[in-house]
Amino acid sequence: MNDEQKIEKLKTIVAPEAVAHPAPRRIFVTVAAADLTAVLGRIKTELDCWFLSTISGVDKGDCFELLYHLGDTTGSIHVRTRIPKADPRVPSICGVIPGAVLYEREIQEMFGITVENIPDPRPLMMADDWPAGNYPLRKDWKFDRPAEVIPGGKK
Amino acid sequence: MSFQIPIGPQHPALKEPISIRLTVEGEVIKDADLRLGYNHRGVEKLAEEKSWIQNIYLCERICGICSHSHATCFVQGAERLLEIVPPRRGVYLRYLVSELERVHSHLLWLGVAGHEAGFDTFFMYTWRDREVVMDLLEMISGNRVHYAINTLGGVRRDIDETLRQKILDGLAVLKARSEYYFKIGAAEPTFVARLAGVGRLTKQQAMDLCATGPTAKASGLALDVRKNDPHDFYDEVEFVVPTADTCDVLGRTVVRIKELFESYKICEQILQKLPDGPVAVKAPRKAKPGEVVSRYEAPRGENIHYIVANGTEKPERLKVRAPTLGNYAATIEMLRHGYIADVPLIFAAIDPCICCAERAVDLLDARTGEERTLRFSDLRRMANDRARTLSPKRNVEWPF
Repeated sequence: MNDEQKIEKLKTIVAPEAVAHPAPRRIFVTVAAADLTAVLGRIKTELDCWFLSTISGVDKGDCFELLYHLGDTTGSIHVRTRIPKADPRVPSICGVIPGAVLYEREIQEMFGITVENIPDPRPLMMADDWPAGNYPLRKDWKFDRPAEVIPGGKK
Repeated sequence: MSFQIPIGPQHPALKEPISIRLTVEGEVIKDADLRLGYNHRGVEKLAEEKSWIQNIYLCERICGICSHSHATCFVQGAERLLEIVPPRRGVYLRYLVSELERVHSHLLWLGVAGHEAGFDTFFMYTWRDREVVMDLLEMISGNRVHYAINTLGGVRRDIDETLRQKILDGLAVLKARSEYYFKIGAAEPTFVARLAGVGRLTKQQAMDLCATGPTAKASGLALDVRKNDPHDFYDEVEFVVPTADTCDVLGRTVVRIKELFESYKICEQILQKLPDGPVAVKAPRKAKPGEVVSRYEAPRGENIHYIVANGTEKPERLKVRAPTLGNYAATIEMLRHGYIADVPLIFAAIDPCICCAERAVDLLDARTGEERTLRFSDLRRMANDRARTLSPKRNVEWPF
Protein backbone atom coordinates (compact mmCIF):
# COMPACT_ATOMS: atom_id res chain seq x y z
CA MET A 1 0.00 0.00 0.00
CA ASN A 2 1.52 3.35 -0.97
CA ASP A 3 1.10 6.68 0.79
CA GLU A 4 -1.83 7.85 -1.39
CA GLN A 5 -3.83 4.68 -0.77
CA LYS A 6 -3.16 4.94 2.96
CA ILE A 7 -4.33 8.56 3.03
CA GLU A 8 -7.50 7.59 1.14
CA LYS A 9 -8.28 4.97 3.75
CA LEU A 10 -7.32 7.21 6.67
CA LYS A 11 -9.74 9.87 5.43
CA THR A 12 -12.58 7.38 5.90
CA ILE A 13 -11.48 6.79 9.51
CA VAL A 14 -10.81 10.38 10.64
CA ALA A 15 -11.78 13.82 9.35
CA PRO A 16 -9.94 14.60 6.04
CA GLU A 17 -8.32 17.77 7.45
CA ALA A 18 -6.78 15.75 10.31
CA VAL A 19 -4.45 13.89 7.92
CA ALA A 20 -1.09 15.47 7.07
CA HIS A 21 1.61 14.16 4.76
CA PRO A 22 4.76 16.24 5.35
CA ALA A 23 7.32 13.84 3.89
CA PRO A 24 7.38 10.58 1.91
CA ARG A 25 6.42 7.56 4.05
CA ARG A 26 5.39 9.85 6.94
CA ILE A 27 1.67 10.38 7.59
CA PHE A 28 0.47 12.32 10.62
CA VAL A 29 -3.09 11.94 11.93
CA THR A 30 -4.57 14.13 14.65
CA VAL A 31 -7.33 12.68 16.83
CA ALA A 32 -9.04 13.54 20.10
CA ALA A 33 -7.88 11.56 23.11
CA ALA A 34 -11.34 10.00 23.50
CA ASP A 35 -11.24 8.51 19.97
CA LEU A 36 -7.66 7.23 20.30
CA THR A 37 -8.37 3.55 20.94
CA ALA A 38 -11.06 3.33 18.26
CA VAL A 39 -8.88 5.03 15.62
CA LEU A 40 -5.80 2.92 16.42
CA GLY A 41 -7.95 -0.21 16.30
CA ARG A 42 -9.29 0.68 12.87
CA ILE A 43 -5.81 1.59 11.57
CA LYS A 44 -4.57 -1.76 12.82
CA THR A 45 -7.28 -3.82 11.13
CA GLU A 46 -8.01 -1.77 8.01
CA LEU A 47 -4.48 -0.63 7.14
CA ASP A 48 -2.69 -3.70 8.52
CA CYS A 49 -0.44 -1.38 10.57
CA TRP A 50 0.11 -3.31 13.79
CA PHE A 51 3.66 -2.40 14.79
CA LEU A 52 3.93 0.31 17.45
CA SER A 53 7.43 1.78 17.46
CA THR A 54 6.98 3.93 20.52
CA ILE A 55 4.91 6.68 22.15
CA SER A 56 6.50 10.14 22.27
CA GLY A 57 5.38 12.79 24.69
CA VAL A 58 6.06 16.49 24.19
CA ASP A 59 5.39 19.25 26.70
CA LYS A 60 3.80 22.04 24.65
CA GLY A 61 3.40 24.51 27.49
CA ASP A 62 -0.39 24.50 27.97
CA CYS A 63 -0.93 20.92 26.84
CA PHE A 64 0.82 17.62 26.35
CA GLU A 65 1.13 16.16 22.92
CA LEU A 66 1.36 12.39 22.52
CA LEU A 67 2.45 10.71 19.31
CA TYR A 68 1.82 7.04 18.67
CA HIS A 69 4.38 5.99 16.07
CA LEU A 70 3.08 3.09 14.02
CA GLY A 71 5.16 1.39 11.38
CA ASP A 72 4.45 -1.10 8.63
CA THR A 73 6.30 -2.51 5.65
CA THR A 74 5.86 0.60 3.49
CA GLY A 75 6.29 3.54 5.85
CA SER A 76 4.89 4.90 9.06
CA ILE A 77 1.74 6.51 10.46
CA HIS A 78 1.94 8.84 13.44
CA VAL A 79 -1.21 9.38 15.47
CA ARG A 80 -1.14 12.65 17.38
CA THR A 81 -3.36 13.59 20.29
CA ARG A 82 -3.35 16.58 22.64
CA ILE A 83 -4.41 16.47 26.26
CA PRO A 84 -4.83 19.44 28.63
CA LYS A 85 -2.14 19.92 31.25
CA ALA A 86 -4.73 20.62 33.95
CA ASP A 87 -6.26 17.17 33.64
CA PRO A 88 -3.73 14.90 31.91
CA ARG A 89 -5.62 11.69 31.14
CA VAL A 90 -5.35 9.37 28.21
CA PRO A 91 -6.96 5.95 27.60
CA SER A 92 -4.69 2.92 27.49
CA ILE A 93 -4.23 1.33 24.07
CA CYS A 94 -3.03 -2.01 25.44
CA GLY A 95 -6.35 -3.58 24.43
CA VAL A 96 -5.46 -2.88 20.80
CA ILE A 97 -1.67 -3.20 20.92
CA PRO A 98 -0.51 -5.22 23.96
CA GLY A 99 3.14 -4.27 23.35
CA ALA A 100 2.39 -0.64 24.31
CA VAL A 101 2.47 -1.25 28.05
CA LEU A 102 6.14 -0.34 28.63
CA TYR A 103 5.78 2.88 26.66
CA GLU A 104 2.65 3.83 28.60
CA ARG A 105 4.40 3.19 31.88
CA GLU A 106 7.25 5.42 30.67
CA ILE A 107 4.79 8.21 29.75
CA GLN A 108 3.17 7.99 33.19
CA GLU A 109 6.49 8.42 34.94
CA MET A 110 8.12 11.01 32.75
CA PHE A 111 5.13 13.35 32.24
CA GLY A 112 2.74 12.49 35.05
CA ILE A 113 0.01 11.62 32.58
CA THR A 114 -2.58 9.18 33.94
CA VAL A 115 -3.08 6.29 31.54
CA GLU A 116 -6.57 4.96 32.26
CA ASN A 117 -7.09 1.19 32.40
CA ILE A 118 -3.38 0.45 32.03
CA PRO A 119 -2.84 -3.26 32.82
CA ASP A 120 0.34 -2.58 34.81
CA PRO A 121 0.61 0.87 36.44
CA ARG A 122 3.81 0.30 38.48
CA PRO A 123 6.83 2.58 38.04
CA LEU A 124 9.36 1.38 35.49
CA MET A 125 12.48 3.54 35.33
CA MET A 126 12.69 5.83 38.30
CA ALA A 127 14.35 4.92 41.57
CA ASP A 128 12.14 3.53 44.35
CA ASP A 129 12.78 6.63 46.48
CA TRP A 130 12.02 9.08 43.65
CA PRO A 131 9.94 11.89 45.19
CA ALA A 132 6.28 11.92 44.15
CA GLY A 133 5.09 14.67 41.84
CA ASN A 134 8.44 15.04 40.04
CA TYR A 135 8.05 14.46 36.32
CA PRO A 136 11.43 15.02 34.65
CA LEU A 137 10.39 15.56 31.05
CA ARG A 138 8.00 18.38 31.86
CA LYS A 139 9.52 21.67 30.75
CA ASP A 140 9.06 23.33 34.15
CA TRP A 141 11.02 20.56 35.92
CA LYS A 142 14.57 21.64 36.59
CA PHE A 143 17.25 19.53 38.13
CA ASP A 144 19.21 21.17 40.92
CA ARG A 145 22.35 19.24 41.50
CA PRO A 146 22.92 18.97 45.25
CA ALA A 147 26.18 20.52 46.41
CA GLU A 148 28.90 17.92 46.66
CA VAL A 149 29.89 17.14 50.23
CA ILE A 150 33.16 15.34 50.73
CA PRO A 151 33.08 13.39 54.00
CA GLY A 152 35.84 14.73 56.21
CA GLY A 153 36.63 17.42 53.64
CA LYS A 154 37.11 21.16 54.10
CA LYS A 155 34.18 23.09 55.51
CA MET B 1 4.18 -23.91 45.42
CA SER B 2 5.79 -20.95 43.75
CA PHE B 3 8.84 -18.90 44.68
CA GLN B 4 10.08 -15.52 43.59
CA ILE B 5 13.68 -15.35 42.43
CA PRO B 6 15.34 -12.01 41.80
CA ILE B 7 18.04 -11.91 39.11
CA GLY B 8 19.98 -8.69 39.04
CA PRO B 9 20.44 -5.75 39.04
CA GLN B 10 23.92 -7.14 39.68
CA HIS B 11 24.32 -10.74 38.63
CA PRO B 12 27.09 -12.80 37.01
CA ALA B 13 24.79 -13.83 34.15
CA LEU B 14 24.04 -10.25 33.22
CA LYS B 15 26.52 -8.00 31.51
CA GLU B 16 24.61 -4.86 32.38
CA PRO B 17 22.35 -3.85 35.26
CA ILE B 18 18.72 -4.85 34.96
CA SER B 19 16.43 -6.50 37.46
CA ILE B 20 14.41 -9.56 36.47
CA ARG B 21 11.99 -11.03 39.00
CA LEU B 22 10.98 -14.58 38.23
CA THR B 23 8.09 -16.52 39.75
CA VAL B 24 9.07 -20.17 39.55
CA GLU B 25 7.45 -23.48 40.31
CA GLY B 26 10.28 -25.97 40.57
CA GLU B 27 12.46 -25.32 37.53
CA VAL B 28 9.71 -23.81 35.42
CA ILE B 29 9.26 -20.05 35.14
CA LYS B 30 5.61 -19.12 35.61
CA ASP B 31 5.92 -15.37 35.36
CA ALA B 32 8.60 -12.75 34.82
CA ASP B 33 8.79 -9.07 35.60
CA LEU B 34 11.35 -6.46 34.61
CA ARG B 35 12.52 -3.37 36.44
CA LEU B 36 14.60 -0.91 34.45
CA GLY B 37 16.38 2.31 35.18
CA TYR B 38 19.59 1.17 36.85
CA ASN B 39 21.49 2.88 34.08
CA HIS B 40 19.13 5.74 33.37
CA ARG B 41 21.11 8.87 32.57
CA GLY B 42 18.45 11.33 31.49
CA VAL B 43 19.78 11.71 27.95
CA GLU B 44 16.46 13.03 26.60
CA LYS B 45 16.37 15.86 29.13
CA LEU B 46 20.06 16.61 28.61
CA ALA B 47 19.59 16.81 24.84
CA GLU B 48 17.27 19.80 25.28
CA GLU B 49 20.18 21.79 26.68
CA LYS B 50 22.73 20.96 23.98
CA SER B 51 23.20 22.34 20.50
CA TRP B 52 22.56 20.29 17.36
CA ILE B 53 26.22 19.47 16.86
CA GLN B 54 26.78 18.59 20.54
CA ASN B 55 23.82 16.25 20.45
CA ILE B 56 25.49 14.02 17.84
CA TYR B 57 28.15 13.16 20.38
CA LEU B 58 25.60 12.82 23.16
CA CYS B 59 23.55 10.38 21.05
CA GLU B 60 26.68 8.45 20.23
CA ARG B 61 27.11 7.82 23.94
CA ILE B 62 23.66 6.31 24.42
CA CYS B 63 25.17 2.93 23.58
CA GLY B 64 28.68 1.53 23.50
CA ILE B 65 28.07 -1.24 20.96
CA CYS B 66 25.76 0.41 18.46
CA SER B 67 27.02 3.96 19.02
CA HIS B 68 26.87 4.77 15.31
CA SER B 69 23.18 3.75 15.14
CA HIS B 70 22.00 6.45 17.50
CA ALA B 71 24.28 9.10 16.03
CA THR B 72 23.14 8.27 12.48
CA CYS B 73 19.49 8.19 13.48
CA PHE B 74 19.83 11.62 15.05
CA VAL B 75 21.83 13.06 12.16
CA GLN B 76 19.34 11.77 9.55
CA GLY B 77 16.58 13.64 11.31
CA ALA B 78 18.57 16.76 12.18
CA GLU B 79 19.67 17.14 8.54
CA ARG B 80 16.02 17.20 7.46
CA LEU B 81 15.28 19.89 10.06
CA LEU B 82 18.35 21.96 9.14
CA GLU B 83 17.40 21.56 5.45
CA ILE B 84 20.76 20.32 4.26
CA VAL B 85 21.51 17.44 1.92
CA PRO B 86 24.78 15.60 2.56
CA PRO B 87 26.91 14.81 -0.52
CA ARG B 88 26.61 11.28 -1.92
CA ARG B 89 30.14 10.27 -0.95
CA GLY B 90 29.44 11.30 2.63
CA VAL B 91 26.20 9.30 2.68
CA TYR B 92 27.92 6.21 1.30
CA LEU B 93 30.71 6.39 3.88
CA ARG B 94 28.18 6.91 6.68
CA TYR B 95 26.32 3.73 5.82
CA LEU B 96 29.57 1.86 5.20
CA VAL B 97 30.37 2.44 8.87
CA SER B 98 26.77 1.43 9.71
CA GLU B 99 27.13 -1.94 8.03
CA LEU B 100 30.59 -2.58 9.48
CA GLU B 101 29.13 -1.77 12.89
CA ARG B 102 26.37 -4.30 12.30
CA VAL B 103 29.05 -6.89 11.46
CA HIS B 104 30.98 -6.17 14.66
CA SER B 105 27.82 -6.19 16.77
CA HIS B 106 26.57 -9.50 15.36
CA LEU B 107 29.98 -11.14 15.76
CA LEU B 108 29.99 -9.93 19.36
CA TRP B 109 26.52 -11.38 19.89
CA LEU B 110 27.46 -14.73 18.33
CA GLY B 111 30.32 -14.96 20.82
CA VAL B 112 28.04 -14.11 23.73
CA ALA B 113 25.46 -16.68 22.56
CA GLY B 114 28.20 -19.31 22.36
CA HIS B 115 29.40 -18.35 25.82
CA GLU B 116 25.91 -18.51 27.35
CA ALA B 117 25.36 -21.90 25.71
CA GLY B 118 28.61 -23.16 27.25
CA PHE B 119 30.47 -23.19 23.91
CA ASP B 120 33.41 -20.97 24.73
CA THR B 121 35.49 -22.00 21.71
CA PHE B 122 32.90 -20.31 19.52
CA PHE B 123 33.20 -17.21 21.70
CA MET B 124 36.99 -17.15 21.26
CA TYR B 125 36.71 -17.64 17.47
CA THR B 126 34.10 -14.95 16.83
CA TRP B 127 35.78 -12.42 19.08
CA ARG B 128 39.11 -12.99 17.39
CA ASP B 129 37.55 -12.36 13.99
CA ARG B 130 35.69 -9.38 15.36
CA GLU B 131 39.10 -7.73 15.72
CA VAL B 132 39.33 -7.66 11.91
CA VAL B 133 36.25 -5.47 11.60
CA MET B 134 37.21 -3.42 14.66
CA ASP B 135 40.56 -2.67 12.99
CA LEU B 136 38.77 -1.66 9.79
CA LEU B 137 36.53 0.70 11.74
CA GLU B 138 39.56 2.15 13.48
CA MET B 139 41.29 2.71 10.14
CA ILE B 140 38.21 4.48 8.74
CA SER B 141 37.24 6.59 11.73
CA GLY B 142 40.25 6.61 14.05
CA ASN B 143 38.23 5.04 16.88
CA ARG B 144 37.22 1.55 17.88
CA VAL B 145 33.99 2.19 19.80
CA HIS B 146 32.66 5.71 19.41
CA TYR B 147 33.52 6.29 15.78
CA ALA B 148 32.53 9.97 15.81
CA ILE B 149 32.40 9.90 12.02
CA ASN B 150 29.00 11.58 11.62
CA THR B 151 28.58 15.30 11.42
CA LEU B 152 25.69 17.47 10.35
CA GLY B 153 25.89 17.42 6.55
CA GLY B 154 28.04 14.36 5.98
CA VAL B 155 30.96 12.57 7.57
CA ARG B 156 34.19 13.85 9.08
CA ARG B 157 36.72 11.62 7.31
CA ASP B 158 37.33 10.36 3.81
CA ILE B 159 38.90 7.08 2.71
CA ASP B 160 41.57 6.63 0.02
CA GLU B 161 42.27 3.84 -2.47
CA THR B 162 44.66 1.94 -0.14
CA LEU B 163 42.11 1.88 2.65
CA ARG B 164 39.38 0.85 0.21
CA GLN B 165 41.48 -2.14 -0.80
CA LYS B 166 42.18 -2.98 2.85
CA ILE B 167 38.47 -2.99 3.66
CA LEU B 168 37.78 -5.32 0.72
CA ASP B 169 40.56 -7.67 1.91
CA GLY B 170 39.16 -7.62 5.45
CA LEU B 171 35.66 -8.37 4.17
CA ALA B 172 36.99 -11.40 2.25
CA VAL B 173 38.51 -12.80 5.47
CA LEU B 174 35.30 -12.18 7.43
CA LYS B 175 33.16 -13.77 4.72
CA ALA B 176 35.19 -16.97 4.78
CA ARG B 177 35.01 -17.11 8.58
CA SER B 178 31.27 -16.40 8.64
CA GLU B 179 30.61 -19.33 6.34
CA TYR B 180 32.28 -21.51 8.94
CA TYR B 181 30.11 -19.98 11.67
CA PHE B 182 27.02 -20.63 9.63
CA LYS B 183 28.02 -24.28 9.42
CA ILE B 184 28.48 -24.39 13.20
CA GLY B 185 25.45 -22.28 14.09
CA ALA B 186 23.03 -24.23 11.93
CA ALA B 187 24.51 -27.74 11.91
CA GLU B 188 26.77 -28.45 14.92
CA PRO B 189 24.55 -30.98 16.82
CA THR B 190 25.35 -30.01 20.42
CA PHE B 191 25.02 -26.27 19.76
CA VAL B 192 21.76 -26.73 17.84
CA ALA B 193 20.38 -29.01 20.54
CA ARG B 194 21.07 -26.33 23.16
CA LEU B 195 19.42 -23.51 21.18
CA ALA B 196 16.48 -25.20 19.46
CA GLY B 197 13.10 -24.72 21.12
CA VAL B 198 14.43 -22.30 23.75
CA GLY B 199 12.65 -18.97 24.22
CA ARG B 200 9.71 -19.54 21.93
CA LEU B 201 7.91 -16.50 20.55
CA THR B 202 5.21 -17.25 18.01
CA LYS B 203 4.54 -15.01 15.04
CA GLN B 204 1.27 -13.78 16.57
CA GLN B 205 2.97 -12.96 19.88
CA ALA B 206 5.78 -11.14 18.09
CA MET B 207 3.17 -9.05 16.27
CA ASP B 208 1.13 -8.29 19.40
CA LEU B 209 4.15 -7.38 21.52
CA CYS B 210 5.81 -5.33 18.76
CA ALA B 211 9.07 -7.26 18.74
CA THR B 212 11.73 -5.81 16.48
CA GLY B 213 15.00 -6.70 14.78
CA PRO B 214 16.35 -10.26 14.71
CA THR B 215 13.80 -11.25 17.39
CA ALA B 216 10.92 -10.44 15.02
CA LYS B 217 12.77 -11.81 11.99
CA ALA B 218 13.28 -15.17 13.72
CA SER B 219 9.50 -15.32 14.25
CA GLY B 220 8.90 -14.98 10.54
CA LEU B 221 8.25 -11.22 10.33
CA ALA B 222 10.31 -9.51 7.62
CA LEU B 223 10.47 -6.18 9.45
CA ASP B 224 13.51 -4.15 8.50
CA VAL B 225 13.62 -0.37 8.34
CA ARG B 226 16.28 -0.55 5.64
CA LYS B 227 13.72 -2.17 3.31
CA ASN B 228 10.47 -0.71 4.67
CA ASP B 229 11.58 2.87 5.12
CA PRO B 230 14.84 3.37 3.20
CA HIS B 231 16.40 6.67 4.19
CA ASP B 232 17.93 8.02 0.94
CA PHE B 233 20.46 5.23 0.65
CA TYR B 234 19.24 1.68 1.18
CA ASP B 235 17.09 1.65 -1.96
CA GLU B 236 20.30 1.99 -3.99
CA VAL B 237 21.84 -1.29 -2.84
CA GLU B 238 20.62 -4.84 -3.19
CA PHE B 239 20.08 -7.06 -0.17
CA VAL B 240 17.43 -9.34 1.25
CA VAL B 241 15.90 -9.43 4.74
CA PRO B 242 16.65 -12.87 6.19
CA THR B 243 13.91 -14.51 8.27
CA ALA B 244 13.48 -17.80 10.09
CA ASP B 245 10.31 -19.56 11.19
CA THR B 246 11.66 -21.61 14.10
CA CYS B 247 10.63 -18.82 16.56
CA ASP B 248 13.43 -19.73 19.01
CA VAL B 249 17.02 -18.83 19.91
CA LEU B 250 18.33 -21.02 17.10
CA GLY B 251 16.35 -18.96 14.59
CA ARG B 252 17.75 -15.74 16.06
CA THR B 253 21.28 -17.12 15.67
CA VAL B 254 20.69 -18.14 12.06
CA VAL B 255 19.08 -14.77 11.22
CA ARG B 256 22.06 -12.89 12.63
CA ILE B 257 24.60 -14.98 10.71
CA LYS B 258 22.59 -14.48 7.51
CA GLU B 259 22.46 -10.75 8.22
CA LEU B 260 26.26 -10.79 8.36
CA PHE B 261 26.37 -11.98 4.74
CA GLU B 262 23.89 -9.27 3.70
CA SER B 263 26.06 -6.65 5.39
CA TYR B 264 29.17 -7.88 3.55
CA LYS B 265 27.20 -7.65 0.32
CA ILE B 266 26.11 -4.07 1.10
CA CYS B 267 29.68 -3.04 2.06
CA GLU B 268 31.05 -4.42 -1.21
CA GLN B 269 28.40 -2.58 -3.21
CA ILE B 270 29.21 0.66 -1.36
CA LEU B 271 32.92 0.31 -2.09
CA GLN B 272 32.28 -0.51 -5.76
CA LYS B 273 29.86 2.36 -6.33
CA LEU B 274 31.57 4.92 -4.04
CA PRO B 275 30.96 8.30 -5.76
CA ASP B 276 33.62 11.01 -6.00
CA GLY B 277 33.33 14.42 -4.43
CA PRO B 278 33.28 16.05 -1.03
CA VAL B 279 32.21 14.16 2.10
CA ALA B 280 30.39 16.96 3.93
CA VAL B 281 28.65 20.29 3.50
CA LYS B 282 28.48 23.12 5.98
CA ALA B 283 25.48 23.06 8.28
CA PRO B 284 23.61 26.08 9.66
CA ARG B 285 23.48 26.53 13.43
CA LYS B 286 19.75 27.02 13.79
CA ALA B 287 16.85 24.89 12.58
CA LYS B 288 13.44 26.24 11.62
CA PRO B 289 10.55 25.12 13.83
CA GLY B 290 9.39 21.68 12.78
CA GLU B 291 9.34 18.03 13.62
CA VAL B 292 10.82 14.92 12.11
CA VAL B 293 10.67 11.18 12.73
CA SER B 294 13.89 9.38 11.94
CA ARG B 295 14.04 5.59 11.75
CA TYR B 296 17.11 3.43 11.44
CA GLU B 297 17.73 -0.30 11.52
CA ALA B 298 20.26 -0.81 14.31
CA PRO B 299 21.87 -4.25 14.77
CA ARG B 300 19.23 -5.00 17.45
CA GLY B 301 16.20 -3.72 15.58
CA GLU B 302 14.38 -0.52 14.81
CA ASN B 303 15.78 2.62 16.33
CA ILE B 304 13.47 5.63 16.26
CA HIS B 305 14.18 9.27 17.10
CA TYR B 306 11.46 11.90 17.18
CA ILE B 307 12.96 15.38 17.04
CA VAL B 308 11.16 18.71 17.47
CA ALA B 309 12.91 21.96 16.56
CA ASN B 310 11.81 25.35 17.88
CA GLY B 311 13.88 27.75 15.78
CA THR B 312 16.85 27.98 18.13
CA GLU B 313 20.17 26.19 18.02
CA LYS B 314 18.91 23.52 20.43
CA PRO B 315 16.19 20.92 19.91
CA GLU B 316 12.90 21.37 21.76
CA ARG B 317 12.53 17.65 22.30
CA LEU B 318 14.46 14.54 21.39
CA LYS B 319 12.68 11.25 21.95
CA VAL B 320 14.84 8.15 21.65
CA ARG B 321 13.51 4.61 21.54
CA ALA B 322 16.30 2.05 21.45
CA PRO B 323 15.45 -1.39 20.02
CA THR B 324 16.08 -3.24 23.29
CA LEU B 325 13.18 -1.44 25.00
CA GLY B 326 10.92 -2.57 22.18
CA ASN B 327 11.94 -6.17 22.78
CA TYR B 328 11.42 -6.29 26.54
CA ALA B 329 7.71 -7.07 26.34
CA ALA B 330 8.53 -10.00 24.05
CA THR B 331 11.31 -11.17 26.38
CA ILE B 332 8.87 -11.57 29.27
CA GLU B 333 6.72 -13.77 27.04
CA MET B 334 9.78 -15.79 25.98
CA LEU B 335 10.82 -16.40 29.58
CA ARG B 336 7.36 -17.65 30.56
CA HIS B 337 7.13 -21.46 30.67
CA GLY B 338 10.88 -21.78 30.15
CA TYR B 339 13.49 -23.12 32.54
CA ILE B 340 15.65 -21.14 34.94
CA ALA B 341 18.78 -22.47 33.24
CA ASP B 342 17.64 -20.89 29.96
CA VAL B 343 17.32 -17.37 31.37
CA PRO B 344 20.80 -16.14 30.34
CA LEU B 345 20.38 -17.62 26.88
CA ILE B 346 16.91 -16.18 26.29
CA PHE B 347 17.89 -12.83 27.65
CA ALA B 348 21.08 -12.75 25.59
CA ALA B 349 19.09 -13.70 22.49
CA ILE B 350 17.49 -10.26 22.22
CA ASP B 351 21.05 -8.88 22.43
CA PRO B 352 20.19 -6.55 25.32
CA CYS B 353 22.09 -3.30 25.27
CA ILE B 354 21.10 -1.75 28.55
CA CYS B 355 23.95 0.68 28.32
CA CYS B 356 27.63 0.42 28.75
CA ALA B 357 30.77 2.19 29.88
CA GLU B 358 31.60 1.41 33.45
CA ARG B 359 34.57 3.45 34.50
CA ALA B 360 35.63 1.20 37.39
CA VAL B 361 36.91 -2.37 37.60
CA ASP B 362 36.53 -4.86 40.43
CA LEU B 363 39.75 -6.53 41.46
CA LEU B 364 40.13 -9.47 43.78
CA ASP B 365 43.29 -9.19 45.82
CA ALA B 366 44.68 -12.75 45.72
CA ARG B 367 46.56 -12.43 49.00
CA THR B 368 43.86 -10.91 51.19
CA GLY B 369 40.77 -12.07 49.27
CA GLU B 370 39.44 -8.55 49.60
CA GLU B 371 37.41 -7.11 46.76
CA ARG B 372 38.19 -3.56 45.84
CA THR B 373 36.89 -1.20 43.23
CA LEU B 374 39.69 0.64 41.55
CA ARG B 375 39.73 3.42 39.03
CA PHE B 376 41.88 3.04 35.96
CA SER B 377 44.06 5.93 37.13
CA ASP B 378 44.79 4.05 40.39
CA LEU B 379 45.64 0.93 38.46
CA ARG B 380 48.02 2.84 36.25
CA ARG B 381 49.65 4.41 39.32
CA MET B 382 50.03 0.99 40.96
CA ALA B 383 51.60 -0.45 37.84
CA ASN B 384 54.01 2.47 37.59
CA ASP B 385 54.97 2.17 41.27
CA ARG B 386 55.63 -1.49 40.84
CA ALA B 387 57.78 -0.89 37.77
CA ARG B 388 59.81 1.73 39.65
CA THR B 389 60.60 -0.54 42.62
CA LEU B 390 61.53 -3.58 40.53
CA SER B 391 65.20 -4.31 40.16
CA PRO B 392 66.38 -3.47 36.64
CA LYS B 393 66.17 -6.54 34.46
CA ARG B 394 69.33 -5.87 32.50
CA ASN B 395 71.42 -6.66 35.58
CA VAL B 396 69.95 -10.11 35.93
CA GLU B 397 72.20 -12.84 34.64
CA TRP B 398 70.59 -15.45 32.49
CA PRO B 399 71.46 -18.79 34.14
CA PHE B 400 72.18 -20.68 30.93
